[in-house]
Amino acid sequence: MMLRTSLRNLLAHKGRVALSLVAVVLSVSFVSGTLVFADTATATFDRLFASTAADVSVSPKGAGSDDDRQYGGARAATLPDSVVRRVAAQPGVRSAAGDVSVQDATVVDPATGKAIGPTGGAPTIAGNWYETPNPALRITSGRVPHGPGEAVLDADTAGKAGLGTGDALRVVTPFGDHRLTISGVATFTTTNPGAALVFFDTPTAQRYLLGRTGVFTSVAAYGDGSRSDDRVKAEVTAELGPSYTVRTAAESAAQAKVGVGGFLDFMKYAMLGFAGISLLVGAFLIVNTFSMLVAQRTREIGLLRAVGGSRAQVNRSVLAEALLLGLLGSTLGLAAGLGLAVGLVRLIGSLGMHLDASELSVRGYVPAVAYAIGVVVTVLAAWLPARRASRISPMAALRDHGTPAEPSAHRVRAAVGLVLTAAGAAALAGAAASHGGAAGGSLLGLGVVLTLVGFVVAGPLLAAGVVRVLGAALPALFGPAGTLAQRNALRNPRRTGATAAALMIGLALVTGASVVTSSMVSSASSQIDRSVGADYVVRSASGALPPQVVRAVTGTSGLDHVSRQKQVPATVTTPDGRSTETGVNAVSPTYARDLRVPAASGDFGAALTRGISVDQGFADAHRLKVGDPLKVAFRGGATETLPVAAVTADDSELYKGQLFVGLAVAERALPADRLPLDVMLLAAAAPGADTGKVYADLQKSLADYPQVQVKDQADYKALIRKQVDQLLSMVYGLLGLAIVVAVLGVVNTLALSVVERTREIGLLRALGLSRRQLRRMVRLESVVIAVFGAVLGTGLGLAWGTAAQRVLESQGLDLLTVPVGTIAAVFAGAALVGLLAALGPAFRASRMNVLAAIATD
Amino acid sequence: MTTAAAAPFGSPAAGAPAGAAGGAPAVAASARQVTKAYGTGETRVTALDAVDVDIARGRFTAIMGPSGSGKSTLMHCLAGLDSVTSGRILIGDTEITGLKDRQLTRLRRDKIGFIFQAFNLLPTLNALENITLPMDIAGRRPDRAWLDQVVETVGLADRLRHRPAQLSGGQQQRVAVARALASRPEIIFGDEPTGNLDSRAGAEVLTFLRRSVDELGQTIVMVTHDPVAAGYADRVLFLADGRIVDEMADPTADAVLERMLRFSGADAPAAGARPAPAPDALRKGADDRTAG
Repeated sequence: MMLRTSLRNLLAHKGRVALSLVAVVLSVSFVSGTLVFADTATATFDRLFASTAADVSVSPKGAGSDDDRQYGGARAATLPDSVVRRVAAQPGVRSAAGDVSVQDATVVDPATGKAIGPTGGAPTIAGNWYETPNPALRITSGRVPHGPGEAVLDADTAGKAGLGTGDALRVVTPFGDHRLTISGVATFTTTNPGAALVFFDTPTAQRYLLGRTGVFTSVAAYGDGSRSDDRVKAEVTAELGPSYTVRTAAESAAQAKVGVGGFLDFMKYAMLGFAGISLLVGAFLIVNTFSMLVAQRTREIGLLRAVGGSRAQVNRSVLAEALLLGLLGSTLGLAAGLGLAVGLVRLIGSLGMHLDASELSVRGYVPAVAYAIGVVVTVLAAWLPARRASRISPMAALRDHGTPAEPSAHRVRAAVGLVLTAAGAAALAGAAASHGGAAGGSLLGLGVVLTLVGFVVAGPLLAAGVVRVLGAALPALFGPAGTLAQRNALRNPRRTGATAAALMIGLALVTGASVVTSSMVSSASSQIDRSVGADYVVRSASGALPPQVVRAVTGTSGLDHVSRQKQVPATVTTPDGRSTETGVNAVSPTYARDLRVPAASGDFGAALTRGISVDQGFADAHRLKVGDPLKVAFRGGATETLPVAAVTADDSELYKGQLFVGLAVAERALPADRLPLDVMLLAAAAPGADTGKVYADLQKSLADYPQVQVKDQADYKALIRKQVDQLLSMVYGLLGLAIVVAVLGVVNTLALSVVERTREIGLLRALGLSRRQLRRMVRLESVVIAVFGAVLGTGLGLAWGTAAQRVLESQGLDLLTVPVGTIAAVFAGAALVGLLAALGPAFRASRMNVLAAIATD
Repeated sequence: MTTAAAAPFGSPAAGAPAGAAGGAPAVAASARQVTKAYGTGETRVTALDAVDVDIARGRFTAIMGPSGSGKSTLMHCLAGLDSVTSGRILIGDTEITGLKDRQLTRLRRDKIGFIFQAFNLLPTLNALENITLPMDIAGRRPDRAWLDQVVETVGLADRLRHRPAQLSGGQQQRVAVARALASRPEIIFGDEPTGNLDSRAGAEVLTFLRRSVDELGQTIVMVTHDPVAAGYADRVLFLADGRIVDEMADPTADAVLERMLRFSGADAPAAGARPAPAPDALRKGADDRTAG
C-alpha cells in the first residue's frame, strides 16, 4: 500500500523528480563506467601479458626493474648466447630462444620524416623475430624479416601510419640510423593496448639494438609439459647462479602489470574521485528536491497526520520514494555507465591506448557497487527532508494555503557553520604557515574539508548576506522584475544556499586548481629565468638521446658549449652508515654555467670536477657537510668514494633533491655498454652569435630525429605552460560533470519555485506584469543564485589554492599567481549557467494561464 | 463616521472621472452578446449565454448569483482575464475582445484594479511595495499626495513596512484595496473581496469601497454571494445559468436576500446565517457626507 502511494507520488511529480534522477544517473554511470573501463583495460593487459610471457624467462639481474625505468637513458642489460644454450639443455625445457627487446629505438617514416608509434605513455619496443610455441603476433601480410634491410611492423602501428609491406622505414637506435624495408606486417593475437613494435631477424636486432652479436636481453624458455614452471625455474636458477633473474610466466605477467597498473590505478582513482564529487553535488540536488516536494505536500501530509497517520509512516513513505528513485537511477546509471565505458575506450583510443570495446569486462561487483551507491546516496540525501516531513503537525492541514515560509536560517546551524569555517580557515592558515612541513599536507586537506562543510552548513546564512549585496543593484537596474527577483532569491535562504552550494563545490575546485597550476607555470617560468643559463634545451620524447643526436647537436656551429646530462642509478652510502637508492646526475663541467644551482656551502662548479654535490634536504637527513666522503655504487659498475663538494639549495624543482657528479666519474665507473644515454643537453650560443639563427640551425641539425626536441627558453616555458594546461583541461573536463549536475540543481530549484509560486505569478500577471518582465524575474533570480555560488566557490577556491601554494612553496611553487582571467570566466560562466538554467522555468512561468494560476490551491 | 474622517479623500470631483461629477452616468465597461462556453459537443458547458450588460461609471455594481451561475466568469471576461467565445467586451471606448496578451496585460496594468478573495499580496513585498506594485510594473511614479491620502484612508500608515505575513486578513484586504485605488484605474474588479473575512473586517473593507465610489467617483464591480456585501452596492445584477435574470437598484441586504431566496432556495441560507451589520446605517452616513 505504502509502496503504491510512494510510486504514485513519484509519478505525480515526475518532472520534478526527473532532474534528481538525472543527477543519480550521472553519478552512478560515472562510477560504473570508470570501473568497467578500468577492468577492461586491466583485462586487456592481462591477456596481453599472459600471451607474451614465456613459460620461464631469464634476464640479467636488475634489468628492467622499476628502479631503472624511472631514470631515462638506462641501457639494456645483456646476457651471452651461452645462457640460451644452457637453459635449452635443462630438463623439462622443450625449447629456449634468445630474446632481444629494447625500448630506446625510434621508428621514423622516411616519407614524412615524422616518428610513428605511440604518442602517449606506451613504449616503442624493438626486438628480434623468432618462432615460439604460442606467439603473441602472427604475420598477416608479407613474410618474416630476413637480413639487415628488413623489418616487421605491428599492424596497428602500420595502419595508423599508413604503411604496408614494401614501404621504407627508418629506425634510430643508440647504435645508428638504419634504413629498412617492411617485409611484413604482424597482428596481435590479443588486443594490443598501444605499444608500437618493430622486429628484425636476430643478428640484425643484436647489431642494431645492442651494438654487437652474440648477446640477448633475455631468454624465453618453453616447457615440454613434464614439470611445472616453478620447478623449471628452480632448476634453471640453480644452473645459472645468482646473477640472473628467472621468472615463471605468471611472475612475468605480474611484473609487467606493475608497470601499467600504476598508471591505470591513477586514472581509475582520479576518475572515481571526480565521480565522488559529482555524487556529492548530486546529493545536494536530491536533498533539495525532496525538501521541496515535502514542503509542497505540507497540507497533504498534515491531513494524513490528522486522520491518524503516524510520524514513522510519513517518514517511511518519503524514504520509500527515495528508495524507488535510487533503484531507478542506479539501473539507468548502470546502463549509461556501460555506454560511458565504451566512450572512454574510444577516447583513450584517440590518446593512443588501444582497447577493444567488444571485450568490455563487466564484473559482478560493478552492478553491486552501482546500486549500493545510487540507493544509499539517494536514501541518505532524502533522510533530512523525510525527518522534516514527519515533524509536520496535523495543524498544517488546517492552515491557509500557500507554501509556508521556511524558517530563516537557524541560529544553531549558523553557529555550527561559522565554527566549522573558522576551524577550516585556521587549518588552512596553519598549513600555509607550515612551510612545507610534514603537517602541511594533512592540515591543508583538513582545512579544505572543514571550510567546504562549513560553507555548506552556513550556506543559508551566507545566502541571506551575500544575496542581499548581490541583489542590491537589481531593483535599480531591472525595475520591478529586479526587485521581485531579489526578494525571491532571499525568501528561502536554505534552498538558495543548498542550490548554490552544489555549484560552489565544482567552482571551488576549478578555482583552486587554476590557482595552483598558474602558480606552477609562473613559478617554473621564474625559476627558468633565474636558474637556466643555457640558451637551448634538447630532450627526447622517449627520454633518451642516442649518441648520434648528441653529435648532431655538438656539431652545430655557433654554439659556445654543450653540456650533457645522464642519470645513473646508484646506491649512495653516507658516513652515518645508511644507504640510499637514488639516481645520480652525471653532467659535463660546463653544466654549472647552464644551470645556476646555488650552493649553501661549497661550490657547485667544483663538485662537477671533483667530488659530488648533494642538496640541502639530503645533507640535512644525513648530517652531511662539505668534505664528508660518500660511497657511490653505480649500478652495473664500480663503487667510487667521492667527497661532498657542495651542498646545494632546494628552492627549485630544477635541482631539488638532485645529486650531481662530473660526467667523467660515471664514464670511469661504468663500462661503455652500461653507461646510460644522455637524458638532456643544455647548450649555450657562442658570444656574439645570433641566437635565433643558432636555434634554427639546431632545429635543422635535429630534423632527422623527430623524437628529439630542441627548445629555447621561451619555447621551453611555453611547453611547460602547455603541459600544465593539458593537465588543467582534463581537470576542467572532469569537474564539468559536477558543474552539470549543479546546473540541474539550479533548474530544479527554479522549476519548483515557479510551480510553488503559481498563484503569485497569476497575481502578478493579473496586475499587469508582462510575460517579458516575468521571464526576466525568473532569469535574474537564477543568475543571482548562480553568481552567489560562484562567489562562494571562487572564495573557497582562492583560499584553498593560496594555502596549497604556501604548502608547496618549498617544493618549487614559490610564486602565487591568481588567474584573474579564469576567475572572471568563472563568474561570466556562472551568470551564463544561471541564464541557461532559467530558460525552461521562465518559459513555463510566462505561459501560465493567468486565471488558472490565480485559482491554484 | 465623521466628516473629518472623510477629509483625506478630498472633494469628490478631484481626480474622479468626469462622468461621475453628475448627469447621466457614462459607461465604464460593457458586454455585448457575450457568450462563454467550455468544451465542445456533448460536454459543452455554457458559462455565459449572450449576456448584455453596461457597468455605469462612478457606480458600485455587485454581481450576484448562485455557484455556477457564471458571475465570476462574467467578471473575468469584463476584466480581460478570460477570453470570450463570442460577443464583445469594451472597457471605456476600447474593445478588448481580440486583443493580444501584450495589449491585455497593458490594459490590466493601466486601467484596471483587482481585489481578489485571498492571496492578494506578494509575500516578499511589504505593504507599501504591494500598494505601488502596479505602478512599479508600469514604470510610473506614484502620485505621492494621492498615495498618502489612500494609505491614510485605509488606515495603514503605521503598517506600511510590514510584510503580508505580519498583517491580519482584514489588513491584507485593506492593502489590496489601497493597491487597487492607488493607481486610479478606470475600473476596479473585486472577486469576493470579503469572502475570507469575518463580518467586522468585511464591513470595514466594504465601507472603504463604498466611500471610494461616493467620494472619488471610482467605478467598482464586485462579485459576491453575500447579500450583506451586495447591500453596499448601487446596483445588483443577478445571474443564473449564464444569464442576467434580474437587477436591483439601491439594494439593501434584506431585499437582496429575499430576492435570492426567490431564485433558488439552495444558495442563500449561508448568507442569511451571517449576523447582518447595519449596511443601511453606513450607507446613510456616507450619503450624509456626500451631501455635506
